This record gives sequence, structure tokens and C-alpha cells, in this order.
Amino acid sequence: MNILQVKNLNAWFGDHHVIKNISLDYMTNTISAIIGPSGCGKSTFIRCLNRIHEEVPSAKATGEVIMQGKNIYDADVVSIRKNIGMVFQKPTPFPAMSILDNVLIGVRLQEKLKKARLMDIAENCLQKAALWDEVKDKLNKPGTSLSGGQQQRLCIARSLALNPPILLMDEPTSALDPIATAKIEELMDNLKKEFTVIIVTHNMQQAARIADFTSFFVLGDLIEHGPSTEIFTNPKNKKTEDYIMGKFG
Amino acid sequence: MILRKLKNYLFLCLMTLSGVAVLIPLILIITYVIKMGASSLNWQFLTHLPKPVGESGGGMFHAILGTLYLVSLGGFMAIPLGVVLGTYLSELGKGWMATFLRHAIDLFTGIPSIVIGIFAYVLVVVPLKQFSALSGGVALGIIILPVVTRTTEEILKLVSNTTREAGLALGLNRTQVIWHILIKGNRAGIFTGVVLAISRAAGETAPLLFTAFGNSYFSYGLMQPMASLPAQIYTYATSPFEEWQRQAWAGSFVLILLVLGLNLSTRFFMRQKS
Ligand SMILES: Nc1ncnc2c1ncn2[C@@H]1O[C@H](COP(=O)(O)OP(=O)(O)OP(=O)(O)O)[C@@H](O)[C@H]1O
Ligand SMILES: [Mg+2]
Repeated sequence: MNILQVKNLNAWFGDHHVIKNISLDYMTNTISAIIGPSGCGKSTFIRCLNRIHEEVPSAKATGEVIMQGKNIYDADVVSIRKNIGMVFQKPTPFPAMSILDNVLIGVRLQEKLKKARLMDIAENCLQKAALWDEVKDKLNKPGTSLSGGQQQRLCIARSLALNPPILLMDEPTSALDPIATAKIEELMDNLKKEFTVIIVTHNMQQAARIADFTSFFVLGDLIEHGPSTEIFTNPKNKKTEDYIMGKFG
Repeated sequence: MILRKLKNYLFLCLMTLSGVAVLIPLILIITYVIKMGASSLNWQFLTHLPKPVGESGGGMFHAILGTLYLVSLGGFMAIPLGVVLGTYLSELGKGWMATFLRHAIDLFTGIPSIVIGIFAYVLVVVPLKQFSALSGGVALGIIILPVVTRTTEEILKLVSNTTREAGLALGLNRTQVIWHILIKGNRAGIFTGVVLAISRAAGETAPLLFTAFGNSYFSYGLMQPMASLPAQIYTYATSPFEEWQRQAWAGSFVLILLVLGLNLSTRFFMRQKS
């Protein structure tokens, strides 16, 4: 089943046409990767999927992104973002905020819940982000006191707290060491059971390891999209093949 | 290699020297004030009103309360406004309005405090036809406002854009991001600016001379003239009576203690929090 359909998506920064008429479908409970050379518009593309793109002055987007039958560009932007979580390249724990408050801030500002219920949510999300055991004794310590990899998992937990069907990740492991990266890849495989994940990555092994589907972008064009096994072993497009072989990019 | 080490060493010496050069006058002033002030400081000084010339004893109780009152009044008016303006400049500040405001704030930072006193005089004293605590509070508020605004703006500008986007991506609206993430997250830094501004305002004499004016008694009335430590010190220090001059030293000592105490306690408080 398709959870997200992108139709004729275009995006600009001022006059600079960055995303060129891209159409793509995403299936429920899959991980899809986006790869491509630097500056080809991967970040811009996924930032269009939760409408963060339009927060940049001069940025513009046209086209449709249909989530569960509804175009997100016709809907209320705040409710869209509650349903589509995002994890950024650099970990972004909120300053001077405890680990617990970091996880719960989205939920707390959305609805009034009992303390016990909030604690349940926090524990649950931190479990899913594979962080619970490491922080359960110091939930009141500031989020910034964690290591980079822990901070990134905290950000994942924070996005999960609103229980969004879709989770967007923009190079979530590029600032992390191999061990922290492996941890996050491992937890993503579990997330897939409940969520649909779209991830931008520079690391082709990572895409091949964790993604069910992979899209290859060059200069704002979608060159090829398909099951990862096919993209990485039997690409149809010469450019894809060259990129995967490391011939350009 | 040797040259590099030598340069390094020279530079270190230079920095230490300039540090000492800054510290020496500071320490001299403080020890001198303590020496002169502590001897005249007693319980009566802190709790009694002034006595008429010629009688010994009496104190600056009213001026100590007055300073606290005036600074709080100025703070209540200026701190919230300063935080709001600083946030506006950092988060939304584009276009001619913001540019204008930014320049106006810069200008206010540079205005001599006596001019601010005249400004408050024209603004409040003249229309109300009397010296008042209110006008003094306004004058101190005008001193506090630009410092708080500037600090808030600078501190919020240091927050990376990704942090704001991370908040928006959680489905928070702009106001929630500003309040819960930016302002609360940087409260320590903003608070430092507030303390700085208040310390400066607490020591100002000039703007109070023709606003709060001065008073030999303490009154809670907003519309009454009010004494303040700096003004009282000024009057006493320039008087020919030795007893008053001694009390001026004691007053300076108390003023330094107040400002220092404020600084240290906020530092302590902030460290406890983080
Ligand atoms: N804030 C911005 N303002 C103007 N142009 C931008 C902005 N952000 C990105 N661009 C431009 O848009 C194009 C696509 O950028 P984008 O960040 O989406 O690339 P990317 O594929 O994510 O690259 P990378 O792999 O380096 O992260 C680039 O040409 C870039 O210069
Ligand atoms: Mg990018």
C-alpha cells in the first residue's frame, strides 16, 4: 500500500530550480533511501515532504504530496508535521532542556496528558530509539550532555513521540562514528515495523544494507528508482551505474 | 622554533600584564570603598532615616529601599519589553521597521545617562508636573531596555537554524518554538544580560536627579519623589559635613554590596540550574 505519493514536485530557491518535476510513491512499512551527488537536491526534496522547505526565505515548491489520500500542501502545516517526523543531519537536542523534556515537548504542547501517561510515552519512544537503557537513570540531565550518537537517537525518540506514520531522515549518521551508525541502522530496521522511513544518505553501503527501495537523484532530476537490490546490482541507467561504481559524484 | 617560543612567551606576558592592569584599579577602588565605608556602616545606617545636620547617627534606609524600588520599577517596565524586542529583532527582524528599531536601540545604548534623565523629565515629570518615583523608574527603564534587547537579540542569533527547524518539524508553531525552545533554552544567557543591565541602572545618579529627585523619607507612592543610594551618596559626599561624608562612603559600600550580591547570586543560581 502506498502511504505517500509525490506528484510533479518542483522546488526553487529564488530562481534556482532545485527539484525538477519529481514523482515517486512510497510504500507503507518500508525504508527508502535517496542517494546522489552533493548538491543534487536530496535534502531539499525531503524537506518538501514535511513542508520545512518553505521556512527558508525565497524558497518555493509546487506539486502535490499526497499522504493517506490528502495533499499535504492543501492541509494545515502544523498538523502535517505532527504526522511526518524529521531527523536532521546534525543532532539537535534543544538547549537547556532535559532528556525527558526533549522527548515529550511535542506531545506536551499538543495535548494535556497525565504524568504517568507521559512517562509511558517517553519510555516507549526511548526504547524504540534504543536509548532507554543508557538514559533511564538520568532523564533529568540536559539532552546536550549526551554523546553525539546518543543525541541523534534522542532526536529519533523525540520524533517518534508524536507517533508519526512517516519518518524523514536527512543523513542521520553522517556525523557519527561507525559504532553509533551501526546502532542507528539496527534500530531503523525495527522502526520499519511501525513506521515508513525515508532516508537521505551519502553512504551507498548504508543504502544497500537498510533500504528496501532506493532513488538516485542528479541535479534535481530523479534518474532511477526501484528496489535497492536492483539499483545496486543491476541499474538500468548508465548514470546510476557510473555513480555506484564511483565514477562520478 | 626558539623565535616561536619567544613570541609565545612575550604574548603571554603581555596578556597577563593587561589583565593585572585592569584588575589593579578595580581592587584599589573596592578596597578603598570597603575601608572607608565599612567603618561607618552599622545597623542604624541600614535601618534608620537621616538625622538633621548636626545630630549624629541616622542612616540611608530610605535610599536603600528607594534604589531597590526604582530599579524594580524600571526592570518591570523594561525587561519584558526588552526580551520581546530582542526576540523580534532576532526572529522576525527584517524590513525598515527592524532596521530603524535596531539603530534606535544602538543610539539609546550610547546616550549619556544625564540625557536620558532629561528625556524622562520631559516625558513624565513635565506632563505630571512633579518629581516622582515613576519618572525615575522610567529613566532607569530606558537604561535597562537597550542592554536587555541587545543581549537577547545576540544570544538568539547564535542559535542554529536547524534548532528552529527541528522545533517546527515537531509540529510546534512559531510562537511555541520561540518561547519553549529559544527563550527558555537560552534563559541563562538572557538573564545574564538582565543582571548586567540592572547592575548598571542601580548605580546611576544623573538620570535620577531630575526625575525621582530625592527625598528625606521613604514613601511607597509612585507619584512621590523618591530617594536613591546614588543620589543620596552624591548629596552627602558633596556636603561640607564630615558625618555626611562618612555616610556617603557607607552608602557606596552598600551599593557595591548590592550589585556584587546580585551578580554572585545569579551566577550561583545559574550554575545550580545547569
Ligand atoms: N538555503 C538555501 N538557499 C539557497 N540555495 C540553497 C539553499 N539550500 C540549498 N540550496 C541549493 O539547492 C541545491 C540543492 O541543495 P541540497 O541541500 O538539497 O543538496 P543535497 O543533495 O542535500 O546535498 P548534500 O549531499 O551536500 O547534502 C544546491 O544547489 C544548493 O546550492
Ligand atoms: Mg543534504
